Amino acid sequence: MRLPDEHSFASWLRSPAVAARVGWWLGICFGVAFLTGLVSHYAQAPSQPVPFPTRPVWGYRVTQGVHVLAGTAAVPLLLVKLWTVYPRLFTRPPRAWAALVRHGLERLSIGVLVAAAVFQLATGLANAAQWYPWTFSFRATHYAVAWLAVGALVVHVAVKLPVIREALAAEVDSRGLDRRGTAAGPGVLSRRGLLRGTALASGVAVLAIAGGMVPWLRRLSVFAVPSSGGRLPVNKTAREAGVTARATGAAYRLTLVHGSREVVLTPADLAALPQRQAELPIACVEGWSANARWGGVRLRDLLDLVEAPAGSAVRVVSLQETGPFRTTTLPGNFADDPLTLLAVALEGRPLPLDHGHPCRLIAPNRPGVLQTKWVTRLEVL
Amino acid sequence: MRTRGLLAAAGLALAAYGGWLLAGLDGPDLRNALVWLVGGVLLHDAVLAPLVIVVGLLVARTVPGAWRAPLAVGLLVLGTATLAAVPVLGRFGAPEGNPTVLSRDYAGGWLVVAALTAVGVTAAGLAARRRRSRGARAGG
Repeated sequence: MRLPDEHSFASWLRSPAVAARVGWWLGICFGVAFLTGLVSHYAQAPSQPVPFPTRPVWGYRVTQGVHVLAGTAAVPLLLVKLWTVYPRLFTRPPRAWAALVRHGLERLSIGVLVAAAVFQLATGLANAAQWYPWTFSFRATHYAVAWLAVGALVVHVAVKLPVIREALAAEVDSRGLDRRGTAAGPGVLSRRGLLRGTALASGVAVLAIAGGMVPWLRRLSVFAVPSSGGRLPVNKTAREAGVTARATGAAYRLTLVHGSREVVLTPADLAALPQRQAELPIACVEGWSANARWGGVRLRDLLDLVEAPAGSAVRVVSLQETGPFRTTTLPGNFADDPLTLLAVALEGRPLPLDHGHPCRLIAPNRPGVLQTKWVTRLEVL
Repeated sequence: MRTRGLLAAAGLALAAYGGWLLAGLDGPDLRNALVWLVGGVLLHDAVLAPLVIVVGLLVARTVPGAWRAPLAVGLLVLGTATLAAVPVLGRFGAPEGNPTVLSRDYAGGWLVVAALTAVGVTAAGLAARRRRSRGARAGG
């Protein structure tokens, strides 16, 4: 049997006319995911030269929701795109040295692009479902490969620019750019049919998970990750975090520290301070988000007890003994924001243990992992 | 030509930064990431793509004409949605004792998507068949 080469694939659909059009939308999805990913990465950075803004309160909720939805929409687009250009994988390498080197470099750039693109979608989707079947740090690696993917994508566009321009300028049914061996007319599907089918597949994939971000789609979204039906979801329970005994014990205290000043509060002391209400979303880095009504003490009021100057950043320490988010740093603009609370109530009832009882941080426009639960110590930096 | 040169240079710089970040990972983490990077390409090029070709051939050879296009689109929609839903369908990451995430009946949800796809394919197939027989009559 002869090994296939790029001319062995006869489908009328495997044409640059289709690849350029699907690639256009795929490029938009990757671009949107890249930019929103940068926002999320920056929001979680321990030091921020330009402080992350506290408004709009739903900002991170939207950017991270869009991030996950753009990645999901890209799944059918990437698979169809790879399908249309699959024959190129079987291109015979040229004999002449100079051409061979050029061929090798192009192959390498495509290899990096495909590897990075598949990696981003696979790890992103797994992470959104809280599945970590790898040993590397998700955040650091997904971030590094994002630059690799976007860089390889820009190189690919540079290499293919004349073909892309010609393909997009001509009708989708034009045969001008087709490989030798491509059929002269439609087989099973027309090219428009494939493009519409791909758009439909992307739409279905997005709708199926969008309920995690868009509450009124929750019933429709059969693959949405948080699915507690009205209740606010929890990523990590008190039992998983190993804090149950200390969070419910009589020995619990909240300690406020500013230099040599220290104030120690019991839950009763906290309850005696002026209580405020704030309607703020929990917007998880995994993409899901939900609004809730929080009640508690304004963080700034607590900082005043230890005479912290305006604009002070605060280290928030949890009862959790392990985990990368045991302590988080709250920048000064968040600490001073009137909506930032140390919450002790959720939806008018005492804060449930899994949501961070006795008290948790809740601030506007902030990634969920940084909304520290089971807070035991606030240190003014 | 100048646009392409600038684009290529910018792309190389972005990718180089990504490569530098990646190289900064600890040895075992980096090796694990490389396994995933290479594994994804192999899984697509050597498993998924040939599988799709085989399914395509089966559809083209065994399915009557009017039904081929609707079935191809139906398989595209259901196949890609299924692939994207593998992490939730497998419930691999479901935390123990925490019913608030991954608690939905995802297998049941998949059946709903599959059933809706089947309805769509059937409706489109019947419509295509009627169009064809009408076309055949009109064309004599």
